[in-house]
Amino acid sequence: MADSLNAHFLTRKIHSLLGLVPVGAFLVFHLWENSQARFGAEHFNEHVVEGIAVALNYKVIVELTLACAILAHGIYGLVIWWQSKPNITQYHYGANYRYYLQRVTSLTTFAFIIWHVYHTRIMVELDEEVARDLFTHMQRLYADPWIIVLYVIGIVGATFHLANGLWLAGITWGVTTHPRAQRISAAACGAVFLLLTTIGFHSIYGFKYPYEGEDQPGHADVIGDPTASDLDQHRST
Amino acid sequence: MSSEIKFKIKRQDGPNNSPYWEEFAMPYAPSHNVVSALMYLREHPINTRGERVRPVVWDCNCMEEVCGACTMLINGVPKQSCAALVDDLAQPIVLEPLTKFPVVRDLQVDRSRMFDALRMTKAWVPIDGTYDIHVHAPIIDPKVQQERYEFSRCMTCGCCMEACPQYHPDSAFVGPAPLGQVYLHNAHPTGRFFRDDRLHSIMGEGGLTDCGNAQNCVQVCPKNIPLTTAIGGLGRQTTMQMFKDIFMK
Repeated sequence: MADSLNAHFLTRKIHSLLGLVPVGAFLVFHLWENSQARFGAEHFNEHVVEGIAVALNYKVIVELTLACAILAHGIYGLVIWWQSKPNITQYHYGANYRYYLQRVTSLTTFAFIIWHVYHTRIMVELDEEVARDLFTHMQRLYADPWIIVLYVIGIVGATFHLANGLWLAGITWGVTTHPRAQRISAAACGAVFLLLTTIGFHSIYGFKYPYEGEDQPGHADVIGDPTASDLDQHRST
Repeated sequence: MSSEIKFKIKRQDGPNNSPYWEEFAMPYAPSHNVVSALMYLREHPINTRGERVRPVVWDCNCMEEVCGACTMLINGVPKQSCAALVDDLAQPIVLEPLTKFPVVRDLQVDRSRMFDALRMTKAWVPIDGTYDIHVHAPIIDPKVQQERYEFSRCMTCGCCMEACPQYHPDSAFVGPAPLGQVYLHNAHPTGRFFRDDRLHSIMGEGGLTDCGNAQNCVQVCPKNIPLTTAIGGLGRQTTMQMFKDIFMK
């Protein structure tokens, strides 16, 4: 009778775990890195894009692992979505709305990620110019206000799904068992949601309005910023 | 005060027939509940168009909100019709059968899936055995007793299932009430000996992991049973059980 290692149970647990690590952890890192867009093209291309490429050993393996984790979490998430019959029109409770939003954001975020990975990651492999200057590529995209709308939906969906997923994981793994614990964790997860969303919006803002003098691609190279000229002098001596 | 009590009832002639709406009106009298009003309509089965129709069928038994048999949707809310006072309800009073269970006839539904779930989750304390389970009556802390008493008041009425977005005819989910009973019996001084079996029964398809934590169950429960506390507690118990199953063999 003790059919203990049940595939269904383990699949659900792995689904939950994948959502936290590596997918959720990556989202936090990703939003943080991209919020540095505010420092301009040079900083972004050299310290963020190149920085990660240099600092990260086995980048291909890391990226493939991440892609597999996102796909596994997303595809099994579709199975879970398929089993739900939302009833928010009849039962107007906070947790019921969040239950519904968790499913809605799973779909919007999954679709967004596929599109987002194509035009920011796969494009880098296809187009040399994008590979050379991802910052300008992003700026060109953001010139279209509809792209910004899509990014806002993508960011809010992803941060909500992660923050609410944290709240859910607290319950399903048995950390927050009682109503009071769940109220406290709801407040904490709400704060996580606001913080991550702010960081995410800051990166859009950064691409639109980088610090003065670096708002045009290659501009810093022409007039040179103090750090760059210092380095040049240092090299020439 | 209205001189009439108006009803709008969703009717269905048999399990395979399609549902239809019928309206009724009866003379006002104070302190009616929905069951006593339905009893009046059974004696006077005349709809608002003046046609004499087949009396409305519904289930009821205890008349004191402890058996759960008369549960139906009253103005869209799942509750016991014996405890739903007509004077408190907006008219016309809309009555519908529970939507998560197969309709037998009119407001009567087949709730056997709930009892199957109790059987599946072994929500009882086995007392027959070839060994002594305990010598004396077990001593329980009165505070703990009070906590567990809440769960013992479950009448398997189906309100929590009705409000649950994860519970429907196409899902295998056992629903919140049986999970509350697993929690109760796992905490019982004798019932706890069968804890592993009960946990394994809810660690498969349709078990605890199929809960989506929409938490409607705890909102609609007529007995205010802390169902989400049971679900959270079982989250902890099944997580520990998983580690036990993996590493302690």
